[in-house]
Amino acid sequence: MKEVWVYIEQEEGKIHPVSFELLGVAQRLASDLSGRVSALLLGYKVEDIIDEIFAYGAEKIYYLDHQVLSYYRHIPYVKGASELAKKYKPEIFLIGATPLGRDLAGGVATHLETGLTADVTELSIDSETGQLLMTRPAYGGNIMATIVCPHHRPQMATVRPRIFPVPERKSSIKGELIRESVELHEDEAKVKRLAFIPKEKAVNLEYAEVIVAGGKGIGSKDGFSLLAELAKELKGELGASRLAVEAHWIGYEHQVGQTGKTVRPKVYLAFGISGAIQHRAGMQNSDFIVAVNTDPEAPIFQIANLGIVGDWKKVAEALLFAIRKERSTDG
Amino acid sequence: MLNILVSIKQVPDTTNIRINPDTGTLIREGVPSIINPYDIVALSLAYQLKLRFKAKVTVITMGPPQAKNALKEAVEFGADRIILLCDRKFAGADTLATSYTLAEAIRFLQREELFDLFLFGKQAIDGDTAQVGPGVANRLGIPVITYVVKIENLDPIHRKIVVHRKTEKGIEVLEAPFPILLTCEKDLSPLPFVPLENILKAQRAEPETFNAEGPLSFQRDKLGLKGSPTQVKKVYTPELKRIGKIYNLDDVSLDDVVSKILDVLRERDLL
Amino acid sequence: MPLEKKGQPMGKYKYDVVIVGGGPAGLSAGIKLVEKGFKTLLIERGRFCGAKNLFGGIIYTSSIKEIVPEFPEVDNFPAERPVTEEGYFFISKDGVVKILHTKRDPKESYTALRAKFDAFLSDYAIKKGLDIAVKTRVLDLIWEANKVCGVIVDRPTSLEDKTPASIEAKVVVLAEGVNRVLTERAGLVDRTVEPSEVVLAVKEVLQLPKGEMEARLGLGENRGLAIELMGEVTLGLPGTGFLYTNKNTLSFGVGIFLNKLMDLNLKPYEILERAKALSYLRELFNGAETLEYGAHLIPEWGIKAFPKLFGNGVLVVGDAAGLVNPLFREGTNLAIYSGLMASEAIKFAFEKGDFTEKALKRYEELFKESYIYKDMLMIKDLKAILLSNSQLFQVYPELMYQICHLYFSAQGRAKRDVIREILAIIRRKRGLLGLVRDFLKLGRILW
Ligand SMILES: Cc1cc2nc3c(=O)[nH]c(=O)nc-3n(C[C@H](O)[C@H](O)[C@H](O)COP(=O)(O)OP(=O)(O)OC[C@H]3O[C@@H](n4cnc5c(N)ncnc54)[C@H](O)[C@@H]3O)c2cc1C
Ligand SMILES: Cc1cc2nc3c(=O)[nH]c(=O)nc-3n(C[C@H](O)[C@H](O)[C@H](O)COP(=O)(O)OP(=O)(O)OC[C@H]3O[C@@H](n4cnc5c(N)ncnc54)[C@H](O)[C@@H]3O)c2cc1C
Ligand SMILES: Nc1ncnc2c1ncn2[C@@H]1O[C@H](COP(=O)(O)O)[C@@H](O)[C@H]1O
Repeated sequence: MKEVWVYIEQEEGKIHPVSFELLGVAQRLASDLSGRVSALLLGYKVEDIIDEIFAYGAEKIYYLDHQVLSYYRHIPYVKGASELAKKYKPEIFLIGATPLGRDLAGGVATHLETGLTADVTELSIDSETGQLLMTRPAYGGNIMATIVCPHHRPQMATVRPRIFPVPERKSSIKGELIRESVELHEDEAKVKRLAFIPKEKAVNLEYAEVIVAGGKGIGSKDGFSLLAELAKELKGELGASRLAVEAHWIGYEHQVGQTGKTVRPKVYLAFGISGAIQHRAGMQNSDFIVAVNTDPEAPIFQIANLGIVGDWKKVAEALLFAIRKERSTDG
Repeated sequence: MLNILVSIKQVPDTTNIRINPDTGTLIREGVPSIINPYDIVALSLAYQLKLRFKAKVTVITMGPPQAKNALKEAVEFGADRIILLCDRKFAGADTLATSYTLAEAIRFLQREELFDLFLFGKQAIDGDTAQVGPGVANRLGIPVITYVVKIENLDPIHRKIVVHRKTEKGIEVLEAPFPILLTCEKDLSPLPFVPLENILKAQRAEPETFNAEGPLSFQRDKLGLKGSPTQVKKVYTPELKRIGKIYNLDDVSLDDVVSKILDVLRERDLL
Repeated sequence: MPLEKKGQPMGKYKYDVVIVGGGPAGLSAGIKLVEKGFKTLLIERGRFCGAKNLFGGIIYTSSIKEIVPEFPEVDNFPAERPVTEEGYFFISKDGVVKILHTKRDPKESYTALRAKFDAFLSDYAIKKGLDIAVKTRVLDLIWEANKVCGVIVDRPTSLEDKTPASIEAKVVVLAEGVNRVLTERAGLVDRTVEPSEVVLAVKEVLQLPKGEMEARLGLGENRGLAIELMGEVTLGLPGTGFLYTNKNTLSFGVGIFLNKLMDLNLKPYEILERAKALSYLRELFNGAETLEYGAHLIPEWGIKAFPKLFGNGVLVVGDAAGLVNPLFREGTNLAIYSGLMASEAIKFAFEKGDFTEKALKRYEELFKESYIYKDMLMIKDLKAILLSNSQLFQVYPELMYQICHLYFSAQGRAKRDVIREILAIIRRKRGLLGLVRDFLKLGRILW
């Protein structure tokens, strides 16, 4: 039976949400192939999360448990994943396009001598050939390319987080757990972790759930204090266009776009931003985009899920007021 | 002496990329070619290391004849030896074939001298794959550390290095022995203002050119398009389609739109 | 016969000649100097020669042949299309009157883009043996006694020596373009340029949907247009517009005297936007995408305000000297010729072993013998006339359109009435006397 593999990215027993998203698409792909979804789990004493993986749709889990895998390192993780893929020959192998996932995937594909498509945003099965169609942006998002891997297996891809929805959790479901072993040694790992410095909570745009962003249309530094209040109220972060950053209304670490950060919040509120391609490149994968702009022709409206033609300040003030009111009646 | 190899790629400046709407292909005309910005970081780091230690820097690239210009620019950063892998048969390579070709060439160079440090860019801005660095490391059987943001310590005597690696959750401080392959993040090294000497030297630098025939022998079926498992089936311009509703404050009330925004936030548990 | 400087330690960098600026003037001087056997360094601040330059533009074969004899039969041909038709478009609010001339010899001139053309020349020069330091800016001149004897650049000397590099030279050639900072430092001019002495040119490279440029302008393959635009394109201000066809794109721009723009408080891009809204241009550019945009000054101080062309150990060439002929759209070729003359003068100086004004005056002598000087003399009053007779830019294009409109439409009435009406328009707009006076004024320049 053809297997669609999903790599379960975990650190200290915490599963990265992208793995659930991938279990979701994998179910669709597997059903198109009349195959099944299997998960590959590498780590050290992470049994706790096995049920969780079944609950999100894995029918089988290949679990490699080893002390050398207690934290992510390239060499042992690549070795473990490659050996198991060689043994079980999956048809498709999906890995989240996170820093960790990309690091792993490049090594695994090399050992399997197969193709690897990076940073995929669309996946489907070609009904005629049964091949996996992997679509991804290239040249800074200016074009999309659909890539196939006709003669090599597995067909591998790293898939961008936040593109696919997390599937429904079905806690009752249990599948087959296969414990595997691969010979691993500490000295082969070569690289040793001396310390870990957790990210300061300062600006965490990439993983913010809400981003309140402002552009040139905000008109001044003061404008950004209003947006900051709104962001605070929503427990979100402040984002900005390059022109707003260049005007020194806000720091560079807030810039969203090609030369700034790529973000995928649940809601992106764009105030006074025209939506130039370089800005869109950094935010167009947001789940929901709200845009406020006085110019009905502004390109931002072409990707906005909710567009408001009008003055940003009126909308921002009214929204802030409404949120505060709702809060006070709640509690 | 520290022996460094830097792998660079010449890419079109994607900020200027345009698409021919009729054919969906890239218009390269008038689009300047630049060294991949992350590879500039790698070159800058090599330059800084050269200032601090005795170091020899070899720079390699695979690309069309004009990629020579990227190598010349590398000489401004103090490259002592520049190598161009250039052949029709290399063309159309995906990351697997690229890493094969680069790794073979590096192996060939290592018959003469072993490298301690391999510097790659985090990713190339044309394809954004970030796969070639790890690919080469695996082929050479050496460890790789991706997304390096800082060199904390480099000890040429004990032949080891301590670096900071950026992850989603923070910074990992990692120690590794030589040889090691690093992929460079933006902040790793400032851009040096190189001396006039280097600028003048770069102007007349000519790379050594390797092709499919020699000086090393490649397995033909692993090169270029032939050696690439992935194939581009279709290329198109992402269409901007109006997906949402647009309200004009001239037609609808402020309260209405605000409550619509609140609904969106509420549905997503953000209030 | 190079002379050793006494008493001073030898610098790290030593050349016979240093050239500041990698435009056509500097590059042609450089090519000629290395051909003559002088060790020459050209310094250009851009990423490559041509990177910082904006250009309309036409290049002329006869002048290029002086430095690249095999032109136009060269690899990596640096131009766009041969100019097969040249002329004037008089643009009024309602339409256009075109005067087009088909050229006999299509190889005489070509449309070109500077980034490509200068890069070609610099590759050629490097092959000939010219040293070129790009991405490097000359900060200042080095003096010894009263003589320029080198330059200081912004880059450090070497890995070990962080001080700004200084480069010794017997002669420094200033080819720095219109922004003539070092020419002032060299004491060759006694004042800075005034806004009334320069034209601000704004230019766009536009791309039409495939095949549209050819269709709209009636162009065949390997045919090219070079058009001067008069009238409303400059909002009736003293200046002109231009339209050149490149291989797949159009160069379109407008140049207006800077003082007029400052008076009206107009921003460069506003001029272009307004021009592009005129009916004829709107149709022509419909659906066009702007690929590049830039602004640049054109020196039009003319011969009356020329700098001194030579000093002790220093020469000025090209735009820095003010060598453009706006009436005949010549600039690159004058830059090239001045580079040639500079190289001749430098050769003369080396033969004499004298790098002071006395020997370098040779450059001015050569200049005064050239056709350039005669042309510059001829147009010496042009700027003043243009600046004080704005009717030339406002009235005539409009007048021409109105007249043509009447003349070329069968209106179902007696032609004598039509002619009367035409005369009435002329009288109203300018007066017959005014007309005659304007033509005399312009005529006086040319004869
Ligand atoms: C190489 C390169 C890289 C770049 N990288 C980035 C990047 O990473 N990120 C980025 O953002 N940009 C980037 N840019 C710049 C980008 O091209 C745009 O210039 C920039 O995004 C525009 O910022 P803006 O939308 O704030 O400003 P503008 O384009 O000036 O838009 C302002 C908008 O505000 C609206 N407005 C004005 N007043 C009001 C009001 N009272 N209420 C509501 N709306 C109002 C206007 O209608 C207008 O649409 C890059 C450009 C280049 C060339
Ligand atoms: C819009 C426009 C259209 C034109 N159209 C035509 C045309 O159709 N035909 C024609 O013949 N002419 C045309 N010209 C004029 C022509 O381009 C110029 O006359 C010619 O380029 C002058 O050459 P140059 O070498 O003197 O100066 P430039 O080409 O200006 O070169 C000067 C160079 O010096 C460099 N530089 C300056 N200072 C320093 C420093 N301190 N250190 C290092 N480098 C420095 C600059 O970066 C520049 O590259 C046009 C000009 C413009 C602006
Ligand atoms: N053709 C090439 N020649 C040399 N180095 C390359 C080439 N392609 C990629 N690289 C290196 O691999 C890095 C990552 O590229 P990529 O995997 O294409 O995103 C680049 O930053 C370069 O250091």
